[in-house]
This record gives sequence, structure tokens and C-alpha cells, in this order.
Amino acid sequence: MATQTIEVNEVASAMRGSHAGGTDRLRVAVEGERAVAGGAAVKARASGLNFFYGGTQALKGLDMEIRDRQVTALIGPSGCGKSTFLRCFNRMHDLTPHTRYEGSIHLYPDDIDLIAKDVDPIEVRMRIGMVFQKPNPFPKTIFENVAYGLRVRGMRSKALIEEEVEKALRDAAIWDEVKDRLNDSGLSLSGGQQQRLCIARALATNPEMLLFDEPTSALDPIATARIEELITALRERVTVLIVTHNMQQAARVSDYTAFMYLGELIEFDVTSRLFTNPGRKATEDYITGRYG
Amino acid sequence: MGGPLDSALSDLRARIVAMGGLVIEQVITAVQALLEGDAGAAALVLARERQVNACDTAIEEAGFQFIARRAPVAGDLRTVTAIARAVTDLERAGDEAKKIARLALAAAAAGDRDVSLGVHRHLRHMARLSADMLRAAVGALERADATVAHDVARMDRELDREFQAALRQLMTVAMENGRLLRSTIDTVLILKSLERIGDHAKNVAEHVVFLVSGDDVRHARAERGAAGGQSAVH
Repeated sequence: MATQTIEVNEVASAMRGSHAGGTDRLRVAVEGERAVAGGAAVKARASGLNFFYGGTQALKGLDMEIRDRQVTALIGPSGCGKSTFLRCFNRMHDLTPHTRYEGSIHLYPDDIDLIAKDVDPIEVRMRIGMVFQKPNPFPKTIFENVAYGLRVRGMRSKALIEEEVEKALRDAAIWDEVKDRLNDSGLSLSGGQQQRLCIARALATNPEMLLFDEPTSALDPIATARIEELITALRERVTVLIVTHNMQQAARVSDYTAFMYLGELIEFDVTSRLFTNPGRKATEDYITGRYG
Repeated sequence: MGGPLDSALSDLRARIVAMGGLVIEQVITAVQALLEGDAGAAALVLARERQVNACDTAIEEAGFQFIARRAPVAGDLRTVTAIARAVTDLERAGDEAKKIARLALAAAAAGDRDVSLGVHRHLRHMARLSADMLRAAVGALERADATVAHDVARMDRELDREFQAALRQLMTVAMENGRLLRSTIDTVLILKSLERIGDHAKNVAEHVVFLVSGDDVRHARAERGAAGGQSAVH
């Protein structure tokens, strides 16, 4: 296991370095196919993950790998545990009393267990950002919404902060719309713009992974399309995990899809296969609308 | 199960099965017109060609609407894709029946033109085989039964052998009697049409394999052939 971990780290580091080059994807054999499939290294691995709200078990023995700089969609009916699973990655459940994790979620390349008690949840949230269903900008200016995370990280230089804020707003594809009104309230923006502002805020801390919890369910089709385009562009630099109730959205934006049901992972596959020829009947019934 | 989605799909499937039945009828009537010199039967085939084309347009449109409005995935998507492919093959098989009917009509009008030219047995055999293949393929589509594809592929090989044997015989006829050249060409065209009908039936059976399993076996034979293999469909 130790040997494999070192190799995984090396592969992931090598890929980070080579990715700027674009098309040359490394294919490295690391203990069979565990670490590399279709050119993408493993960014995170959930192993035997159980999660409990009090006495209720919401996740049951989940084993799943999240590929580096790929979009992985979590789908399944309400209550299947997909949001619960998503929130494990940045320790959101720590804020809810009487909750308990079992198993592990390892983040690579440094191989830390995200849910280990001795790992600081604040540090985890710096590395793994989250965007929620309803846009939730702070009641501050557009500029401050993005600068906030930088200041929390200890950045003091005004020029550097300005530079980073602009970069994050550009990366979130909202710069052109707000560059002349950076001192307006974040709440003055439209729903779709607010959501992109929240994405900029999450990007400002330069995370390795972004979690999206139904990020477009409150948006109109045009704003939805912009967020989806943005997610597609973001996968060049961050690993994306997205929960969505919209089957077509999962099919459009993701590289991998996981179908969950009653707290269990029923099927995980590349999206192109899961939506054309799923292996399990339960998956077929759900994605074709025959569930229940 | 049994919701509007399923009823839309069963409606599509019922329509293509009905179209398949019509095309099979066209092939049988065209060959009958040819062998019996029945101009009326040939005219009937030409008249019914419009119905075949109408089915083609209607099923294509229904499939297109289904995709646009239901955004099908998985088995539903494969079903509508397989039906859209099969409808093209059935329409083309119908076109071949029309070609045979036209030649039958011309032969009947000429009165003395014998298109059998000693390949009567081959012609009958090919007509029976191609109609059986269509019947098997359409039945497979109706039942979503991928196992039939193997039988259809076997019949297709038999059809090809018959075609080659008939061609050899016709070449001898043409070489021995130049006056029969026109009839020989007509006969070759008829045999080629039957051979093409068999190909379309085989295609439909392959679309059924895709519908059921998601496997695209359409070019399997060419690829296996290139790799030194023999068999087309399993």
C-alpha cells in the first residue's frame, strides 16, 4: 500500500506538471488500473465510507475514486446520500452535531485522509471549495466577496489582492460584467451572476477540488448554460464533483457519473457509457425516468 | 412502467413492425409478378411504394420528436436510434422491391422477354431467403431479440453464395447467346436487388443487437476479415 501511495503521488505530481502541455496524457501502470484510467490520475479516494446522522446511516460502505481534473457527477433520487457524500469532502458535516464518519477519503497527491480527526477542517475547506444550490454571496461588495478568502489566507498586499481578485473573477467568467462595479454589493447581481461570484470566491483560494451542490437548480436556462460552460472550463485546473438532479446536466458536463441509491453506490462509470448503456437495471430505470 | 414514455416507444416500435410487414409484402409481390409475368401485381408494388415512403417519413419524424421532447437515454436512446437506422434499411429494401417490380412490368410488356434464363431455381431461392431474412429481422426488432442476428447473418452468407452461383450461370448464358444480353442484364439487376434486400435485413438485425446490448456489430465482418477472421455477427 505504501509503495502504491508513493507511486500515485508521483503520477499525480507528474500529471500536474505536464498538464499545461495539453494533450500528452500520461498512462502509467500503478498496481493495475487503480490509479490511472483513461489518462486521469486519482485525486481522491473514498474507502469504506460510512456516515451517520445520529442513529441513521446515510452512507453505506462507499468506495469510489474521483479522477484528477475531471468532472464527476453524483446522481440519484432525493435522500440517496449524494449531497451527504459531497459534503464529506470538505467536512461540512462537522458543523452538524451528532454526526459520525467511518472509513476514509484520501486526497492525493499528499495522501491525507480528509475525514481524519487530526486534519483541520478549515485547511480542508481552503483546498476543497464548495458552491451551493442557492447563491450565497456575503452582504459585502463584489470585490470583498472574493478578497475575503485571500485575507483569511493571510494575504496583505493590496496590489496582490487586487490581482488575485481579478484573476478569480476572470476565471469565473464574470469579470467583464462586474469590472466597472466592483464596489457594488454582491447581492445587487442577478442569480446567475451571484452564482459565478460565489465560484470566483471559491476559486480565489486556489483550490484543488470544487464541490457543486445542485449549482443551477435556482437559475434560468441561460444562466445554467453559463455555469455549465464554466464548469467545463474549470476542469482544466480543478477536480470537480457535482450533485445534480438534472440528468441532462450530468450527461452534458461530467466525465464520470456515479448513481447512488439508499446510501449506496450502485454504479460508477464514464458518463458516455452510463448514459447509453448502464450496467445495472436500477441505473437504467432511474435515468430513463422509470424509477419508483 | 407503462407510462407515456413507454407508450411512445411501443407506438414507434409498432409502426416500424407494420412498415416491415409492408416491405416484406412488397418483396413477395414483386417476385411473384416477375415469375408469373403478372403486370397487375407489379403495378400494385409500384403503387404501394408511396405507402412505404410515407411510413419512412412518419417514423423518422416520430423518432425525431421523441428525441427532441423526451431527451431519451440508455435503453430508450438505443431503441429510438435502432429504429431510426432500421427505418432507412427497410425503406431501401422497399426501393429494391420497386426496382424488381419495374423490371417485371417491362418484361411483361415485352411479352417474350424471359428473365429467368435458367436461373429460375436460384431466383426463387434468393427471393425466399431475402423475404425470410426480412421477416426474421423485423420479428427480432418487435421482440427486441438479439439472438436472431446470428441466423440472419448465416442466411445472408447463403444468399451471397446463391448470388455468385447465379452470376456464373448467367455469364455462360451471355457468352453463348449475345441476343440475350438485355435479359441477362435485367436478371443480374433483379438478383442484385434480392441480394441487397438481404443486406438490409442483416443491417436491421444488427440494429437489434445494438438496441439490446449497445454493441455496434455493423462493421464487425470487415474488421474481422481484415484481421483474418470469418464470422460477422455473434
